[in-house]
Amino acid sequence: MTEPAAAGREMAPKRRRMMDMIMVLGGLKEESAIPLSRVNEELELLKEQVAPLTEEIFAFPMKYFDEFLEAVEKASLLEGVSDRGILKEAIDNLEEAVEKGDIESLQGLLDLLRTRLDSLTKKPGQEDEGEEVDLKEVLAPLPALVDQISVIIGKYEENAAEDAKTAEQDLKDLQQGMEEGKDLLKEDPDEALARLQKLGTKTRYGNFLRTAAQVKRAKREERVDEERFDYLLRHNIMVELYRGVVYFVLTHMGSKTVVELADLTGIEADVLQRSIVSMIQRADIEMVGLDENAPVFARVFDTVPETTMVMKRTVQQLRAVSRSVEGKNRELIASSLQQLEESLERLQKLGQYDETELAEVLGQTREIADNATEGILTKSSDAEAEDLRLLVSAGLEAFARFRLKIALEKGPNLVEGTNVYGEKLDPKKYEQIMDSYLNNELERGTMLILIRDLGAMSAETLAEKTGIPQDRVFRHLLRMKRDELLTLAGEEHGYVLYDVPRTPTKAEVTVRTASDQAALLVTAKNEIETILQDLKPEDIGNLANSLETFSKARDKMEKIEIGGTVVAESLLDTVEDKVKSAVVMAYRTRAKIPSTRPKVTIEDLLDVDVPSVLEEYRSQMGYAPILGFGTVKWEQSKCLGCKSCEIACPEDAITLKPVIDVPSFFEFSDEALEKLPVNRGLFYRTVRGLASQKPTEKVVLNEDKPGFGTVEVDLWLCVACRTCVRRCPGPDDGALELELKWSLPEVVKQIKAGVL
Amino acid sequence: MSENRSPVLLCTCGDTLSLDYELLNKELSQYEGVKSVTVHGTVCQREGLEAIKHLVQENDGRLVIAACTSQKIQMRIDNFLKEEGVDSSQVQYVNIREHSAWVHDDVGDATEKSLAMIKGAVRLASLSEPFLDETKEIASHVTVVGGGIAGIESALSLSNLGYHVTLLEKEDELGGHVKHLPVVAPTGKSGKEVLSGRLESIDRDDNIEVHKNTTVRFFDGEMGNFTVHFVDTDGTEKDLETSGIVLANGFSEFKPTAMEEYRYGRNPDVLTQFELSCMLSDGELHRPSDDEPVKEIIMVQCVGSRSEDYKRDCSKLCCTFAIDNALEVLKRHPEARVRIVYMDIRVPFENEMIYKESREKGVDYIRGRVSRVWEENGETHVKVYDSLLDKYLEFAPDLLVLSSAILPAEGLNELSETLGFDIEDDGHVKELYGKLRRLETRRRGVIAVGGVTRPQFVFEAVTDAQAGALVIHNELQEGQIEKLARGAVLNVEDCVGCSLCAQQCPRGVPLMIEETENPEDEDEKLEFKAAIDTLNCHACGVCQSLCPSAATQLNFLTNEQLWAQIEGTLEGAGPDNPITLCFHCEECAVSTMDIVGTRKMKYPANTRFIPVPCAGRVSIIDILKGFEHGASTVMIASCETDRCHMGGTGNEIAQAQIDVARDILSAIGWKGERVDMFRMYSAEPDRFITAIQEMVKRAKELGPTPVHQGTAGKWMEVSR
Repeated sequence: MTEPAAAGREMAPKRRRMMDMIMVLGGLKEESAIPLSRVNEELELLKEQVAPLTEEIFAFPMKYFDEFLEAVEKASLLEGVSDRGILKEAIDNLEEAVEKGDIESLQGLLDLLRTRLDSLTKKPGQEDEGEEVDLKEVLAPLPALVDQISVIIGKYEENAAEDAKTAEQDLKDLQQGMEEGKDLLKEDPDEALARLQKLGTKTRYGNFLRTAAQVKRAKREERVDEERFDYLLRHNIMVELYRGVVYFVLTHMGSKTVVELADLTGIEADVLQRSIVSMIQRADIEMVGLDENAPVFARVFDTVPETTMVMKRTVQQLRAVSRSVEGKNRELIASSLQQLEESLERLQKLGQYDETELAEVLGQTREIADNATEGILTKSSDAEAEDLRLLVSAGLEAFARFRLKIALEKGPNLVEGTNVYGEKLDPKKYEQIMDSYLNNELERGTMLILIRDLGAMSAETLAEKTGIPQDRVFRHLLRMKRDELLTLAGEEHGYVLYDVPRTPTKAEVTVRTASDQAALLVTAKNEIETILQDLKPEDIGNLANSLETFSKARDKMEKIEIGGTVVAESLLDTVEDKVKSAVVMAYRTRAKIPSTRPKVTIEDLLDVDVPSVLEEYRSQMGYAPILGFGTVKWEQSKCLGCKSCEIACPEDAITLKPVIDVPSFFEFSDEALEKLPVNRGLFYRTVRGLASQKPTEKVVLNEDKPGFGTVEVDLWLCVACRTCVRRCPGPDDGALELELKWSLPEVVKQIKAGVL
Repeated sequence: MSENRSPVLLCTCGDTLSLDYELLNKELSQYEGVKSVTVHGTVCQREGLEAIKHLVQENDGRLVIAACTSQKIQMRIDNFLKEEGVDSSQVQYVNIREHSAWVHDDVGDATEKSLAMIKGAVRLASLSEPFLDETKEIASHVTVVGGGIAGIESALSLSNLGYHVTLLEKEDELGGHVKHLPVVAPTGKSGKEVLSGRLESIDRDDNIEVHKNTTVRFFDGEMGNFTVHFVDTDGTEKDLETSGIVLANGFSEFKPTAMEEYRYGRNPDVLTQFELSCMLSDGELHRPSDDEPVKEIIMVQCVGSRSEDYKRDCSKLCCTFAIDNALEVLKRHPEARVRIVYMDIRVPFENEMIYKESREKGVDYIRGRVSRVWEENGETHVKVYDSLLDKYLEFAPDLLVLSSAILPAEGLNELSETLGFDIEDDGHVKELYGKLRRLETRRRGVIAVGGVTRPQFVFEAVTDAQAGALVIHNELQEGQIEKLARGAVLNVEDCVGCSLCAQQCPRGVPLMIEETENPEDEDEKLEFKAAIDTLNCHACGVCQSLCPSAATQLNFLTNEQLWAQIEGTLEGAGPDNPITLCFHCEECAVSTMDIVGTRKMKYPANTRFIPVPCAGRVSIIDILKGFEHGASTVMIASCETDRCHMGGTGNEIAQAQIDVARDILSAIGWKGERVDMFRMYSAEPDRFITAIQEMVKRAKELGPTPVHQGTAGKWMEVSR
């Protein structure tokens, strides 16, 4: 690249001509030709032309926002704006606009928005601010209540134990019946089944009853033979019966571990273990706790007693409260909380119980928790209180989700059975996993709710607000981003902002657009004013850009509707022509005075890679200058579709497109066909000989087919090197012909006139 | 041109075929191109063969045999005639058994179909020319590029087969990667032990000339006449004449300097797996930074492999190599601690054993990824995310070993430009056909063995190399290529230089030679002419199908021959007797059809078959000729996608002809559905049945063609 020998090398004449043209078109060459006086003349001319327009253009934002403000107030548009993120952004924009320029109506709009934001941030319960709750007083009765709950649960457990005793006799009967049934299996399977079915009725285990009935019917209808029946009886039905017995025990004798179940029912523990897995999958039973290391199972009841649910909520709530209090209160809550958690576990083990006795005490406990929460909320500063409220609700929400997901699905399976590697999950570890899962869910829930309510946030802000360490916050964010719960929403002070996916309301979009444009317009107006005071050649680009801002803002405003009508429609219409012609004038002048461009000589362009320059030029200027100085003509009757031109072209300007111009096959002269290579001519003749109608449409193929196609030349890329013409193997001089065109001045004129 | 007349030999397959031989005999005897008709019971037996010999001798080599599938009898007849010194190149075959008598119930219909197809073959035969054995003397010399295990093994095998071999190695020692492996699973031997015997043999072998420290620049020429340009040990550029080339460039290990997170290249204690192998095989295990002993190693799998940015696929070897090295480390230092961080462990073949062994020996497997590597107080620290525990673990190992991806050898792309072999998307050399033509490349006389085609274990590379030597031997035949010159023949006069043949030939046989006298003169045309070595040709006919000037044609199936056959075969086709014409390739399609016949599955008899060597031989003109002569539908039966036996693209060329024909027919007032292409697979004979039934159904449903109706060519009147 840094070869010094450029001077020694020759530029090919074609390339030189082309580069020359690039410079002409790009205005690079004319620089020296335009005297300074001429440049000043042009600038003066522009100033003169723009002057009558500026007044109206400058006045247009102010007029517009007057009407906008009026429309907003009239339609109470801000009622529909509740996204605080959008509001804050809009306020920022308007503050900037107001600061930079003096537009009264913008100040009015800004006030409106601020009021709206305030009203949104205000807490509903804030009126009774003065009434501060004395936490100590509120919490005082808690220990007594908790003790009481414990006692009541103790009674429940006693009752349950008694029930269990009564049930023991029934269980014995069941066991005996089962043994008898088993003995009968060999001699009289039908009778055995009948007896077992009777037992099944006692267990009230639906699956057993259904299976037994099905097998019996199958036997009767001779769908299963003796042997199969025997097998089903010994295996499927017996296993279902075991399950029935387990179900009976868990229903009447409370929750049990597998070992306890084995002791009680006399069924081998490993058989039980296997039977139980299916029961968990069927959601007949669930794991409710741990006894040492063994999981404790209980029947799944259709409805969990209301009081158990209340207890769970209360425990959750108190947990949250305990984080926000200090000293004695904290100790008190902590000890009560521990007791309550134990009680909750006991309740869960009990499953069903007579909830009336517990209802009252629990109701009081709950009231205390509520009051304590309330107390903390009122006591803390606004932001903190809100955060706490969020935390509490997030916790409850996450807890509900968690329970559904884990408790009913995978957890018990992992503890009970083994994974594919034959490994067993340690129940302790299981609890740890559950804990950390719950904790994670809680934290994520909090973050989500915060973002949802307060608008996009960075990891840093979230860490600050939630008190979760920032690296954890970050992990959560990534996780939620991956789950598509969050999206990226720009950045703030270099930190990435995360937001929940939102669909702004129409009112919100309106506010956002209007405030964006307000800020842009004020800046653009100031810039134009400064530039016009002393118009210099190098400012011409900025002038054009700022005018363009006006034009674009106007276009956007045309889309703003309030109450179904476009705001200030007539104003926008009248100003349109003026803005647009000012823009055109600026661009035109810019094209005429190239003094801002660097000085380039043709020699500098020796190594320029034409297509890449083109691309760059196009992306910078928005249009590409005409590069080709010739057109390549293609004669289909001579083309063999061989792609040689495409392969040979050094600039990738010529391509064989997969389009067959079949209609033209019918236009070729006999003479032309005669000259073609023999098979090519034969092909056309055969097609014509078979045709029963003359086609009108070209055939568009879905991909390249060797030997067929239509040649296309991209004149933007063609450097007219004639390689394709020389390479073409078609008859005579080939299918391609290059026609040089030298009407450059015309092209330049077009650019100057702003057409290109 | 007057057509020659041929004798016809009809076989009754021991009087088992339900065909009306009387009618065939009568009709054929009256047919213009037929000289005589002979009905024989067992053409394939001794008497039959004798009869064939006499008929061929008496008729200037011409004979049309209508019997069972040529796949069965042609080889036998060819061998017999060769032994008897009779040229069999002009004998034509018509399958009236599997393609007619066995698949149609109606004797009349089957006879009619057989008659038409025999007539077609008679027309074809009338235009045939004899072609004789050609001999080409070439140097019995092969060049092996790359002196790793594959290169060494193929050099030795080729030398055993009687070739002179030049072995080019870019390093100063033979042995490639294998030399540095401390242990080669599952043998338990070290790489040096694996190599030692072979290296001794090479030293002793006078037929093998080894050049070390050489780099290959580029190649010229074609099979039998390659020139290798290379820079020799002393730095001089040399040319080497050779007849065949074995690419055994092996692979290169990915150096993950670009993956900055691993600190490779910045921290001396971060190595690649192969660098660890080198350390282990060259001496003592130590920390490169300060030569201290190593107590703790972390190995990271899939560095660069299975990653969109570097290598998309699994590199196959790294798991095994990592385990090899881990075991070697533990063998020398039982107290050392080795942890392998993996995504999933993939140890193919019996390497599973060493995986189990490593678990027993206490290698720690951590499923997850490395999240950070950094240095602190002169120690290397690694943070690993364990995805099973959902935990971050932190270690301070003495060595961090990266099992980096196995990439294609460097410079393959450059070599492919002059040597013309194909490159896979992943950069490895592409083999001609994965199932039946492994090791062969697109370019004839160039084979690729060992890691150059895909990551391979040592024993795989050895097998590859031995097989590759045999493939080369098959091609070069010890320097005396004697072959029937059956293939494309180019008439240079007619060539217009369009290069379609060179662009599309599946084997890269045609070469374009520039004939411009003065390229600097901008007014002069850039002229090219193709050059085709018929002995190098695989005779698929793709070039012929595409050639606009009929300059290149198969010498056993010229355009005129095929068109005459189409005309003969379609005799009697018309609106009342709608005929489906089926061009089928003599690879997958014919075996599918033969199996249909052998299983006596049935399909309609108003079908006519024309065999072509490869579906790519059928040009759009051939398809249109079919319609011109009265076919109601035309189909091509070819090999399955990516299974073209001619190098992969013959069937796609045929597809292009079909697609264009369909569109053009639709445009000129025909129904495009009259033409279609079907891909076959001999294990699924049903496919042919479905295809042919579909086309017969279309022939019936679409009714008479414009040719039948007499409206073809009347577009002037119609459009007015």
